[in-house]
Amino acid sequence: MTSKYQWNNIFLSIMVIALFIFPFVTDSRTWTILLTQIFIFSILAMSYDILLGYTGIVSFGHAMFFGMGAYTTAVMLDRIEPTIGVFVLSIATGMLITGIISFIVGLLTLRLKSHFFAMLTLALSGLFLVLAEKWRSVTSGNDGFTFRAPEFFKDRMMFYLVVLVCMVVVYFVLRRFVQSPLGHVLVAVRENEQRTKSLGYNTLHYKVIASVVAGVVASLAGSLYAISLRFVNTSVLTMDITLDALLMTIIGGVGTLIGPIIGAGVIELSQHFLSGLAKDYPIFERWIIFFGILYILVVIFFPSGIVGTIRQAFHKRKKQSVGKEEQSNSEEL
Amino acid sequence: MELLTNLTINGLATGMLIFLLAAGLTLIFGLMDVLNFAHGGLFAWGAYSSVWFYALTDSFVLAILGAILTGVILGFITEKLIIKPVYGNHVQQILITLGFMLVLTEMLKVVFGPNQIAVRTPENLVGSWEIGDVIIIKYRVFIIIVGFLVFGIFQYILKKTKIGLIVRAGVLNKEMVQTLGINIKNVFLYVFIAGASLAAIGGALFAPYSGVIYAEMGMEYAILGFIVVVIGGMGSFPGSLLAAILVGLVGSYMAYYVPSLSLAVNMIIMAIVLIFRPQGLFRAKG
Repeated sequence: MTSKYQWNNIFLSIMVIALFIFPFVTDSRTWTILLTQIFIFSILAMSYDILLGYTGIVSFGHAMFFGMGAYTTAVMLDRIEPTIGVFVLSIATGMLITGIISFIVGLLTLRLKSHFFAMLTLALSGLFLVLAEKWRSVTSGNDGFTFRAPEFFKDRMMFYLVVLVCMVVVYFVLRRFVQSPLGHVLVAVRENEQRTKSLGYNTLHYKVIASVVAGVVASLAGSLYAISLRFVNTSVLTMDITLDALLMTIIGGVGTLIGPIIGAGVIELSQHFLSGLAKDYPIFERWIIFFGILYILVVIFFPSGIVGTIRQAFHKRKKQSVGKEEQSNSEEL
Repeated sequence: MELLTNLTINGLATGMLIFLLAAGLTLIFGLMDVLNFAHGGLFAWGAYSSVWFYALTDSFVLAILGAILTGVILGFITEKLIIKPVYGNHVQQILITLGFMLVLTEMLKVVFGPNQIAVRTPENLVGSWEIGDVIIIKYRVFIIIVGFLVFGIFQYILKKTKIGLIVRAGVLNKEMVQTLGINIKNVFLYVFIAGASLAAIGGALFAPYSGVIYAEMGMEYAILGFIVVVIGGMGSFPGSLLAAILVGLVGSYMAYYVPSLSLAVNMIIMAIVLIFRPQGLFRAKG
């Protein structure tokens, strides 16, 4: 078991170091921006996986937390001043606001059964979208507004490194979170909520905690996303953001933290290349259709996604080889 | 007076359209325990296909029949390919039907193009009646009549026929129906197809009503459909009619008197119902 973790860690460290060195080796602007985008969506997808993969809750309202983070950062940088201090403050404020709102929302909605919860979150995020469109004095509605990013981020490379650090930190914090006793209770809720309840855990509390953690991390992703575009409009609150997180998590692998990162990479990269192909083959303008079909196939045939399926195959082989050894041993006897 | 009448008729017409969407949702949920997030996609496909058939044949009746055909085919495909593999697993059901919704919406854009399509009202339904100083638009009355007609037909089938009896019994207790030697899986398929066709009829009626159709309308109206199903009580057919009329009327009055709240108010009603009376205002009865 330890050796497996060691291998995982070594592999991860190599990947992270390679990503850190990457911008120093190449100066391809496209790739820097693309990778930044992947890191931001990895953070979002990881936060979504805390709900979907670890706690077994399907929320269709994740975009509202992402959007709140994006708007907080954008509004504060625009209204106060574009400095690093305000940037850090805006991230903290965004997290605080989403923390409070996800706590209230969670407390009200998480006692419902999965169907009702999914519907209510869908409706609530719709409500927030409408609010943002109507509250024009702050959000400028659907037109959105541009703002100046801190001087420090003018260099795309600096921003790349900051986002990468954020992603790595979020990964380790969330890994610690899901491996803590609290995280194990969440998995127990996913596996069998009734039984967890009868063991004396107040499952509602645990689900609310999961929803707050997911909301706060999504808000961080939103803040970074706003900076990366230097523009924000109501699209950050739309269903598309939730769908992105959902596709990335499902395709990458639910119930793992690496899965969402891989999912984010796969989807952003294919989106990039498929929309590049659209010039020649118009069908690729609707690239999302391929993901929709892929997603359905994954849900039916590989419910544990890329990472989960690879892991299962790995375990199977190990088990088979162990089984064979036992067999040969017994034959010898 | 004129204003109030118009708002009421408008609200009733919208309510009927939502009812056609929600009726299928509620029956499917009541019987199969499946919440179909792809239902809005069937609604949108109904709208697009009716417009297509209308342009082809120039007959609104044929256009609606065409939409029903689309609904039947899509319903069959959805049940067999999408719903069947994940019976009994709620999380997977939610995920997969939402994914199918995505595919349906994008397919619309591939087949009919990504832009909005303008729709004209069928000739014999254009215009309005004037009663005193009240102007009543014909097409809205037509929608209301069709809505009640569909409700009547389905209520008759549910209450008076054998298949209706099986469906009602299935809503109450699936296992018991199966022990009586009835293949409930087949009944599931029929109910799903019926629900899909209802959504398609709703879409077909919606197209001339709004005058313009677009691929995203499926999701927009599906949310209203969910709200209605929740308020009306999952599995309750009459409940969904009453809740749909409520949602339609409230939406129509609010849009005039407090426009900034019009979209929010239905969601607020649903949130209140869910928090205080999660089983809905009406109960599914045998």
